[in-house]
Amino acid sequence: MTRDEAANESLIEIKDLSRIYTMGEVNVRALNNVTFEIKRGEFAAIMGKSGSGKSTLLHQLGLLDAPTSGEIIFSGKNISGLSESEKAKFRLSKFGYVFQEYALLPELTAIENVYLPAMALGRKKEEYLKAGTEVLGNVGLGTRLHHRPREMSGGEQQRVAIARALINRPDILFADEPTANLDSDSSKQVIELFQKLNEETGLTILMVTHEPDDIKYVSKVVWLRDGELAEM
Amino acid sequence: MFNNFKLSLFLASKSMMRGNKSTQLLIIFIMSLIFVNLVFIGSIFLGVTEATNKQVINSLYSNVVIEPKKDEKYISDVYSLEQKIKGVPGVVGISSQYVTGATLSYKDKHGTWIVRAINPDDEMKVTTNHNYLIAGNYLSKLDENEILLGKEIAGGYGGDLEYNSLGVKVGDSIDVLFDNGVKKSYRVKGIFDANFIQTNVMAYISRNDMESIVGLEDKASQILVKTQDNGNEDRYIKQFLEMGIKEEIKPWTVYAGMVKNITNSFDMIAMMISAIGLFVAVITIFIIVYTSTISKRKQIGILRAVGIEGSIIIQSYIFQALFIVISGIFIGLIIIFFAIKPWFIEHPLKFPIGLASLLILPEKVSANAVSLIIAALAAGFIPSWLAVRKTIIDTIWGD
Repeated sequence: MTRDEAANESLIEIKDLSRIYTMGEVNVRALNNVTFEIKRGEFAAIMGKSGSGKSTLLHQLGLLDAPTSGEIIFSGKNISGLSESEKAKFRLSKFGYVFQEYALLPELTAIENVYLPAMALGRKKEEYLKAGTEVLGNVGLGTRLHHRPREMSGGEQQRVAIARALINRPDILFADEPTANLDSDSSKQVIELFQKLNEETGLTILMVTHEPDDIKYVSKVVWLRDGELAEM
Repeated sequence: MFNNFKLSLFLASKSMMRGNKSTQLLIIFIMSLIFVNLVFIGSIFLGVTEATNKQVINSLYSNVVIEPKKDEKYISDVYSLEQKIKGVPGVVGISSQYVTGATLSYKDKHGTWIVRAINPDDEMKVTTNHNYLIAGNYLSKLDENEILLGKEIAGGYGGDLEYNSLGVKVGDSIDVLFDNGVKKSYRVKGIFDANFIQTNVMAYISRNDMESIVGLEDKASQILVKTQDNGNEDRYIKQFLEMGIKEEIKPWTVYAGMVKNITNSFDMIAMMISAIGLFVAVITIFIIVYTSTISKRKQIGILRAVGIEGSIIIQSYIFQALFIVISGIFIGLIIIFFAIKPWFIEHPLKFPIGLASLLILPEKVSANAVSLIIAALAAGFIPSWLAVRKTIIDTIWGD
C-alpha cells in the first residue's frame, strides 16, 4: 500500500457512539450518537468547551472505557466487544497514549519508562534497549536516558511519555491535552514533535486540546458540543 | 507467561530498590520481629515441655517403670527380674526401690513426704539427682541411718514450699515415722536441688536400711529402667512383655499426668499466640500493600492504560510482599540463632518444673516461615486485586 492509498484508508471509525454515566439516580449522557472516522496518517484534534465530552470520546476510542452503545471499528474490525485482556493487548501493540499529567513511573528512569511497554510486548532485551535509546534520541532526550522523572522538567517528562507511546510503533497515538501542564515553549516543542512524527512517519494522531492555536498544526478538527458532534 | 513473570519482577524490584529505603527497612524489621515472635513463643513452650519431660525422666521415673502385679504390694524375686531386664539390649540402668510415705520431724516441725529406699550405685545409673547436691554428700550403699533430703523438705534454700520445710542442715538428726509404725532417727547426709519441685519433695535412704525396717528381702515397690534413648519406651516394654514379665510395665509418660496437662495447655497457648502473630503479620502486610496501592493508584491506572495486564501488576505487588517477608524471615533467623538462642542457653528460664531453654525445631521454624509466606501472598494479592479490578478511568481519574 502506498502512502497515498494508506491516507484514504479508514483507520478508526465510530458509529452512533454513546456513553451514559450513572451518578446516583441521575443518568449523564456524556456522548450522544457520535459518528465519524479518522483516516490513517491524519493528525486530528478533538476540540470543544469543558464538559463537551472530548476526553470521554478519546477514552472510548483508546479502549480505556467502554461505550454504552455504538461501535468502534479499527482497521475494519469491531473492537468495542473485546475482553479486558484482549483490550490490554490491543492497547499495548496498536495504541500509544500521552496524558496531560505525563504519567511516568517515578521509580523508573527515562529509558525504563520508555521500554516498559516493549518489555510487556515480549521483545528481547537488546532490542528494547536499542529501541528505547533511539526513540528517546528522536524526542531530543538522548542525553537524559538514566534520569528519573523528578530530575526532569515538565516538557522533558512529556517527551519521555511521547517516547513511551511510540516504542511499540503504534498505529495511532492518543493524546489527552498533552500541553495543558506545560509552559508555552514546552507546549510548542510537544506539538511540533507531534507534527514532525505525523509528517515524517505517517503516524496517525488524535489529540484532545482546548488550545485554539493548535488548529494550525492539525489536518482535521472534530468539534464537540454537549456530547454531540458539532462540526468537522 | 515467563515474560509476565519477568515484567512483574522488574516492576517490583525497581519499586523496592528506588522506594523509600528507611521505610522499607523499618517494615522488614517489623516482619523480622513478627517472625521472631512466632518462633520464640513456640520454642519457649516447646523448651518448657522438653525440660519438664526430661525432669520427669531424669529425676523421677527414668524411662520405664515396673510395678507390682495387681493386688500385690511388692514385686517379688527382684534379683532374677533385674538380671532378665539387664540382658535386654539398650537397657543402661536399673534401680529397684521401696517407696513409702513417712512423717519426718525435726524439733517442733514435721511433715509427710515420700521416702524412696535405693541402692545408690544403681540409682546413679537411672536418675541424675546425685549431680544436684547443694549440701553434704550423696548416699552410699553401706550407709545406715543416713538420709538425703530434697530442698523443699530441708528448707533454707529458697524453695517454693519453705513454709512446710523442716529447716534442717546437713548433720542434723531428724526422726522418721514410717507407714508401718516404725520410728527411727536419721542424720541428714545431703540436700539436693533437682530443679524440679516434684523431686525436691522426696527423701532417699539406703535400700538395706529399709529392708530392716519393713522386714523384707529381694522385694521392691518399683523398678526404674533407664534406656539408652528417649521416645522408644513402647519398644522396650514390648520386649519385656515378650520375655514373660508379668508385672505392670508402664512408660514414664503415664506418671507425667500433671505435667502433661501443663504441656498440653502450653501447646494450646503457643498455637493461639502463633495464630495472633500470623494475623498481625497479614494485617501489617495488607496495610503496607494497601497503602502502597492507594498512593500508586494513578500509576496502576497508567500501567493498565499502556497495556500492562492487571495480573502483572498484582504479581508485582505479591513479589514486593514476598520480598519484605522473606527478608524479614532471614533477619529473624539471624536474630534467633545468633542472639536469642545463645542468650537462653546462657540464661535458662527457671520454672518450678525445672530450667527451660528454647527448643527450636527446624520443622516448626519452617512451618512458621511457610505460614508467613502464605500470609504475604494473601496480603499482597487482596489490595492489589482490589486496585486492579476498578476501571482504568476510575483508577487514574477517580476520587
